[in-house]
Amino acid sequence: MGEDIKRNNDKIPFDENNYTHNIRKAGERRLDRRGFMKTMVGAAGIFAVSTMPWGAIAVKELTGLGSKSHPKQKLANANDLKIGEAIEFAYPGEHDAALLVRLGENEFKAYQNACTHLKCPVFWSKEEGRLVCPCHHGFFDVKTGKPTAGPPQRPLPEVVLSKEQGAIYATGVKRYET
Amino acid sequence: MKRSYRGVILLCFVLLLNIICTQQVVNSFFYDRFERVVLFAVCNIVLFPIALWIYFRERDVR
Ligand code: FES
Repeated sequence: MGEDIKRNNDKIPFDENNYTHNIRKAGERRLDRRGFMKTMVGAAGIFAVSTMPWGAIAVKELTGLGSKSHPKQKLANANDLKIGEAIEFAYPGEHDAALLVRLGENEFKAYQNACTHLKCPVFWSKEEGRLVCPCHHGFFDVKTGKPTAGPPQRPLPEVVLSKEQGAIYATGVKRYET
Repeated sequence: MKRSYRGVILLCFVLLLNIICTQQVVNSFFYDRFERVVLFAVCNIVLFPIALWIYFRERDVR
């Protein structure tokens, strides 16, 4: 470094009596251009690796879409339920609470009733004619499952229904369309 | 000594794209838009070889 600087000018200490700044390690505290670029490449690698699981899950969802069928489950006899009434059931798993509402003579709607805000159970309010989440006053349109007011942003997952011989069956759960 | 900072700038840009792609992956995942998730995840993975290539190209440039 300063080898060619005149040593005996009494400003720069001689090596022999330099007691404080005499530690030299190769590359210590040095981040040169190349080292910086290496770091950047490493960061790019980390980004690539860290998005892989998301991609993998997405691929799984995309390919498994057709085969992901839910069992058919009988919910109720159509005549057990008066117009404007609702019953609760569990679908597709025993912990996936859902709600079946009869809106008209032949009009049934069913949604999984975990609120899309913070998973409170949504209930059917006949008086208000809409689905109500009591926790933070979220409201959902019963015809579409879309949130109409309050904190929820996403629609309730709709349960696909079919009617056979006066009985209502659940056959699947619709995906979010947002 | 005058250095070439082109590699550094290019890599900064790659990293910016990485951040954007990652953000898009997470957002699309949240909205169940899996095609977009796959698209951006692939982008992110492709960016890594590009970064490597830039590095090897620019490493010895003075
Ligand atoms: S949990 Fe339903 S509104 Fe917050």
